[in-house]
Amino acid sequence: MIKSLFKIAWRNLIKRKVFSSISILGLAIGFGSAILIYLFLSYHLSFDDFHPNQDRIYRMATEEHMDDINYSASVPPAFAKVFREDYAYAEKVAKIVDREGLVLDVEQNGGINKYSKNIMFAEEDFFKIFNFPLKNGGNAVSLSAPNTAVITESEALEMYGTTDVVGKTFVLENDATIEITGVLKDIPNTSFLNHEIFISFENLEKYSEFAHGENWGGITTNLQCYALLKPNQDIATIENALLELPKQHRPNSKNTHIYKLQPLSDIHLNLEYGGLNPVFLVVFGIIGLFLIAIACINFVNISTAQAFYRSKEIGIRKVLGSFKRQLFWQFLSETFLISLFAMILGIVLAILFLPAFNALFEIQLTMESLVSVQFFGFLLALLLLVSILSGSYPGILLSRIVPILALKGKLNHNDTGGATTRKVLVVTQFVISISLIVATLVISRQIEYATQTDLGFDKESIVMLQVPETMDSAKFYDLKERLKQVVGVQQVSGCLTSPGAGDTFWDTTVKYNNRPEREDFSISVKVGDEDYLNTFSIPLVAGRNFFKNDSITELLVNEKFAEKLGISSSEELLGKTLAVNGDRVEATIVGVVRNFHDSSFTDEIKPVFIAPTVRWYNELGIKINHLNTKSTLEQLKKEWSQTFSNHIFDYRFLDERVAEQYETEQRYLSLSKVFSGLAIFIGCMGLYGLILFFVGQRKKEVGIRKVLGSNITGILTLFSIDFLKLVLIAGAIAVPFAWYFMDVWLQGYTYRTQIHWWYFAISIVAVLVLTLLTISYQTIRVAIKNPVNSLRTE
Amino acid sequence: MLLQLKNIFKWVNSGGQRIFLLKDINLTVEEGEFISVMGPSGSGKSTLLNVIGMLDNFDEGEYHFLDESVHTLKEKHRANLYKEYIGFVFQSYHLLDDLTVYENLEMPLLYKKYRSSERKAMVADMLDRFNMVGKKDLFPAQLSGGQQQLVGVARALIAGPKLILADEPTGNLNSQQSEEIMQLFKTLNQEDGVTIIQVTHSEMNAAYGSRIINLLDGRKIGD
Repeated sequence: MIKSLFKIAWRNLIKRKVFSSISILGLAIGFGSAILIYLFLSYHLSFDDFHPNQDRIYRMATEEHMDDINYSASVPPAFAKVFREDYAYAEKVAKIVDREGLVLDVEQNGGINKYSKNIMFAEEDFFKIFNFPLKNGGNAVSLSAPNTAVITESEALEMYGTTDVVGKTFVLENDATIEITGVLKDIPNTSFLNHEIFISFENLEKYSEFAHGENWGGITTNLQCYALLKPNQDIATIENALLELPKQHRPNSKNTHIYKLQPLSDIHLNLEYGGLNPVFLVVFGIIGLFLIAIACINFVNISTAQAFYRSKEIGIRKVLGSFKRQLFWQFLSETFLISLFAMILGIVLAILFLPAFNALFEIQLTMESLVSVQFFGFLLALLLLVSILSGSYPGILLSRIVPILALKGKLNHNDTGGATTRKVLVVTQFVISISLIVATLVISRQIEYATQTDLGFDKESIVMLQVPETMDSAKFYDLKERLKQVVGVQQVSGCLTSPGAGDTFWDTTVKYNNRPEREDFSISVKVGDEDYLNTFSIPLVAGRNFFKNDSITELLVNEKFAEKLGISSSEELLGKTLAVNGDRVEATIVGVVRNFHDSSFTDEIKPVFIAPTVRWYNELGIKINHLNTKSTLEQLKKEWSQTFSNHIFDYRFLDERVAEQYETEQRYLSLSKVFSGLAIFIGCMGLYGLILFFVGQRKKEVGIRKVLGSNITGILTLFSIDFLKLVLIAGAIAVPFAWYFMDVWLQGYTYRTQIHWWYFAISIVAVLVLTLLTISYQTIRVAIKNPVNSLRTE
Repeated sequence: MLLQLKNIFKWVNSGGQRIFLLKDINLTVEEGEFISVMGPSGSGKSTLLNVIGMLDNFDEGEYHFLDESVHTLKEKHRANLYKEYIGFVFQSYHLLDDLTVYENLEMPLLYKKYRSSERKAMVADMLDRFNMVGKKDLFPAQLSGGQQQLVGVARALIAGPKLILADEPTGNLNSQQSEEIMQLFKTLNQEDGVTIIQVTHSEMNAAYGSRIINLLDGRKIGD
């Protein structure tokens, strides 16, 4: 019986090649997308699931309560020691601190290779908490002595050309000679840890005095503290006990710390603590379902439309003794067969597009992830789901056919049913397509808004150079002067970070005008020299710029600062004092600058002060003439290398850095572009199938109409008017639907674009045009045929 | 007695008027009869055949088939009943175009849960009996009308029904093909004892049977 069912299913497939191809291709695209999306989701959900004690591993985090709450995935540097020694909750506590772009000298074949690497300074216990084993197995990592390091296998290969590097050395930042004591297996992609080189925590002091010391004064996000708790601990109890710590160690701070334990499994997908936005995954999942739904809808549409063709077969089978149930199963098995083909094709498509997909979303999915029990389980579940979803309704329709009507050929379309359902399904497809187009428009408009709106500073043609080591005044002014002489350079400014530096910020609290208490809001520190305003074109609204100085005596604030203080006139701030840096420095406000967007449009503009301090200059912002970028850069490199001869020249353009803040949005955009494209493609294919069928069915009618004098336009209208009506209905449904969801999305931005009515107009018109094109091809083909041919067959 | 119709009425309502398709039909069919139903177009011949074949319902009356009261049975039981005892032959053959001769013959058996080896034997037997062994792998479209109807009859016979209902079985055939099919029916009736009810327009075909029923406007006017 089964064999016979598959046989007839196969022959049906072969016989109706076009319809079969449309169904299979549509489903295959749906399957392919679903597979990629599944891999993507399981990739993100599998982060750090390979540590044997993962349920007991926590990251220490801080809620900073000021006028609002700031979530920081870090704790003060002194926290680890106290938690380890004064409390009995943890088996092991370890901190790690990462530093970017340190220079490593590796001796090889008599020469010296320089590398710029991101380094993790780690306490030895870190490797006892987590499962990052050594190459030869075990976790006996030795990092307690100063000047020791462990590196991963691939890093060893890159730096030394071999993985047998225990005992070999490299020079860190032209200073300490570090010996490699172990080689780690490569860290899995699905780990919060993406470092390759781990150096003893003892070496950290030189590179971050603050993070290395036992400080309670502040938090640096470079530091992370992990703990392996003893079994069966109650997190609430621990967090409660930790409430004591700030009272003890930070009694006078306006910034009230509350320490939290963040479970390991929460790290990758907790937005507040710097993880990925889980909404992103939900959106992804929904889009995957949409695509599968559209493909199923296609399938249902085409097969119900074909029910008419098959009614005779159904009639005969019923008369020969088939039960409804048997017919239903027959149809379901046909659907299964088609789905199976589609799935095989889908897998091939997914494999073909895997590299592009990886590049688009900056992930590393591999073929190996395809070979797993879960994945096959997923495929099977998907296959069954799709077979049942798209097979059962046509199956019910077909098995309901009344045999004698079918045998007499007296069935018409309404009797085979599904006409209304088909309309509903087509409308659903259009709704999804239109909504996705609207989403694409709104997202791209918001990105455009964010990147093209005046940010309050100039980001074009500005090169950012690193300052790899702390400079004294003489060295700095010498370098600055020489850089200024380079042809094409217009302005040079030393600074801690440029405006629009996004994640890299430094917040502090200040005391205004000798008030007894510090203000209850935090203020961002932009350290920069007297050319900061000129270089980044930040306009003054009151007062003047500060004079050239090595350290803070005068400073600038922004308008937001006045607003936060509740002062309406910027002028009023001038001449007032501001105590900064833990009240150690008092400086005079000499000017007020216009507000500028220091971080992404999701965040409100913060109060800022700008002041010079040479030893904190971390970067050089250089405004250049964009006409001769290449030669200017070469000259800059020359001058820079003269000062920092042992370092590697690296530069970035400021506009790229600003654009980076919208990386997530860019991904949303690529996502909605790709998938709305696919949705529309599958939808059009289904529509083509339907039209093909309707035109085939009404050939005779077309013939008669032509004989009676209708022209091609008339016939095109005849066929398209119904579908165009459906597009309009879908538009009417999609407008409030898409409007609502995109509005919710935009609410996430403090500064956002408007949703205009013409987004919807464009989307609907686009779908209308595509529909018309899809319909026209077939219709016109039939319409230009000689009517005699279609009439003669009768 | 194979079947008995008592005061069967069937009607449709059209424009406030009740149009009778069958009006007070009484008919008893004994096993082994060969009945021809005749009458002009629209007289209710096919409707009567469909009612007897349980493919169509009636609105009033009683229908007994063997020991069962068809009018009280649920659809599923009715289907079981005709599956078991009735074979159908159609004017336009109604073979499945996608299946070969062999597969067309096998299909009713598939629905009756015969084992694979049994099916093989029964189909082979039927092919042999109808001299179609050489054509078993051909599709219906590759056969002449007469040959297709031969397959149709073979298919109706294969599960060993007590009754064959044939709705103008020769309507699409030429006279020579007609004669062959009618001869076949006669043989089946006389040698195998299969009861046959056929609808026909042709006096000549009717003459093969043992009894003629005349219908006019849904009413039986002669037996």
